[in-house]
Amino acid sequence: MQNAKIEQELALIFKESFGLDHINDSTSIFNVAGWDSMAHVSLIMTLQQQFNVSIPPADAIELTDIASIKKFLKAKILKRF
Amino acid sequence: MSHINNILKQAWDKGSWLAHRQAARKIKTIFTSGKAEPLTNMKIALLSSFTIDPLADYAITAAAAEQICLDIYLPGYDQFNQEILNPKSGLYNFQPEITFLFIEWDSLVLADDPKMPNQTENEIIARIKSLVDHFKQHASSLFVLGNFISALSWPLHITPDNKSSLITQVNQLLFEQFADDPQIQILDLNALAAYHGYQTALSPEMLHLARHPFSESFLPILSQKIMSHIKALRGLTRKCLVLDCDNTLWGGIIGEDGLDGIQLGPDTPGREFVDFQKTILELFQQGVILAINSKNNYADVLEVLQNHPQMVLREKHFAALEINWSDKPANMRRIARDLNLGLDSFVFFDDNPAEREMMQQMLPEVFTVDAPDNPAWFARTLRETNLFVKAYLTEEDRRRGQIYADQRRRQKLQSSVNSVEEYLTSLDMIATVYLTNTDHIKRVAQLTQRTNQFNLTTRRYQEADIKTMLDTKKWRLYTLSLKDKFGDNGIVGAALVIRENEIWRIDTFLMSCRIIGRGAEDALAARILQDASGLNIPLVHAEYIPSAKNILVADFWEKMNFACIENSSNYSLWRCQPEKYRPKYLNYLKVIYQ
Repeated sequence: MQNAKIEQELALIFKESFGLDHINDSTSIFNVAGWDSMAHVSLIMTLQQQFNVSIPPADAIELTDIASIKKFLKAKILKRF
Repeated sequence: MSHINNILKQAWDKGSWLAHRQAARKIKTIFTSGKAEPLTNMKIALLSSFTIDPLADYAITAAAAEQICLDIYLPGYDQFNQEILNPKSGLYNFQPEITFLFIEWDSLVLADDPKMPNQTENEIIARIKSLVDHFKQHASSLFVLGNFISALSWPLHITPDNKSSLITQVNQLLFEQFADDPQIQILDLNALAAYHGYQTALSPEMLHLARHPFSESFLPILSQKIMSHIKALRGLTRKCLVLDCDNTLWGGIIGEDGLDGIQLGPDTPGREFVDFQKTILELFQQGVILAINSKNNYADVLEVLQNHPQMVLREKHFAALEINWSDKPANMRRIARDLNLGLDSFVFFDDNPAEREMMQQMLPEVFTVDAPDNPAWFARTLRETNLFVKAYLTEEDRRRGQIYADQRRRQKLQSSVNSVEEYLTSLDMIATVYLTNTDHIKRVAQLTQRTNQFNLTTRRYQEADIKTMLDTKKWRLYTLSLKDKFGDNGIVGAALVIRENEIWRIDTFLMSCRIIGRGAEDALAARILQDASGLNIPLVHAEYIPSAKNILVADFWEKMNFACIENSSNYSLWRCQPEKYRPKYLNYLKVIYQ
């Protein structure tokens, strides 16, 4: 999975989940309506499935903005190659 | 509703909690903005020792699929003790119709707590009992208690697993402890998780991220179980299973393969159909009415029902046999008319997708089961529906299938006599009216929940409500049973009357739809008025509250010679002076007053 594909998938998840048409690196739990603590856990569960990665609790609580989510996913996914 | 259906479809396709969470939010907005009208609303509370938000989201989507709008009280994790113990808590203020409580074993029983060195099963039960008793002091609504998951903590170890055995014992005792308490139901969470598979039902990730024990794959089935309790309370259960014959009840086509050629018996192919029939018979024994709707020659099917040695279901099990070459929706309408049931009481099972499609399009009120292609799965598919759920089985439930099948024989007789009066006379009917017989309370509660057509006020009561009402001594409960030469219909009518100063008010007056048109309502009304007269009550008031389904009885009090004293589009009040009341004498109905 390439960078562009990761960004595309993320954009889709955020559109369907929070109704956002555009996301950028600073899109975060602090500025998205509906991204509360429960939504966050369900988002983590969805990220795990969509990207086929396992996200330990310690990482999960840090992934509160697009920049850190992208960074985490890229590190996990690119490691496979 | 189509907007909601699209939202639900998206959530199911994705299946994730995130998808259900977003769907639940959208559905709430649609219902609160009035863009869709639910069939019914219900307030429930979800109490737990863990975060239960995920279950709430799945429950909202499951309920929306049945056009039910759920309003859920969620006090946050581990608040259940305070909520139950404090009479001024948000829980009691919210007044839920059902309160669910889920406690994790480990939060109830602290293994190393030095203060509680020997926690026996009886001590644990006593603690739960005390919590339940507190709830009962402050509320009379239904309380549903989830039991404990007994999954092995070390699945592959071979030494005894004491924890798992203790949980199993406690679960057993829980059932026994509350078996006779109508206010308490046990949700068998352990069995449900075992059915789904402990490995997939429990999610360590959810547990550690969200303090919630269940996986996204288990939440849909658990929310269906929640729905079963909700539907049982509302009486939103289907009453009649309508079956096709060829390739549904047996393999092959009777008109072509003949009695010896169809597949039905202990060997494959054929045993899958015996298994399916056994499952259907279990439903019949739980009070589900059976009917056949098939395109065959009538005589061919009757020969199978009467003479095939491997048939589990026989002619006597069926309340209607529409076996002809008409289209199936037309047959279905006839069955509904003959059994005096609304189309929304029916479930249709047919192996043929084209027939199912036609039924769905023409009669969407009928629940058409999405039958699998492979008949090996028929029985399982039927078992996994929650269409026929009940909170408990009354004596009437156990016999209902039979009662309706007897009715078919009555109607055969009806077509052979000349007048209605002559027919009714030939039934040799005996109605018995009882005053405040507490053995009937469970059945009366069920009748208030389920009766829609002949129900003057459609007030729904739970068993505990009626007990409380009778305890005040202001209330009188009348019940009516009806017997005829084909069998005993059991308790089929009820009235609740309250004394308000010098006036009696008939708060509830209802008759089961299967005896409509037999004059039993006259006997019940007469008894109330005669009692009032005997006790020198100067006035009896009666009400009619229109609903979507009770237009049948709009003029009932008028027919009973009550005078209308208040009338609006959603309520009317009637009165009668009992001493002037002269009962209509029905010469075809013998009445006994107990």
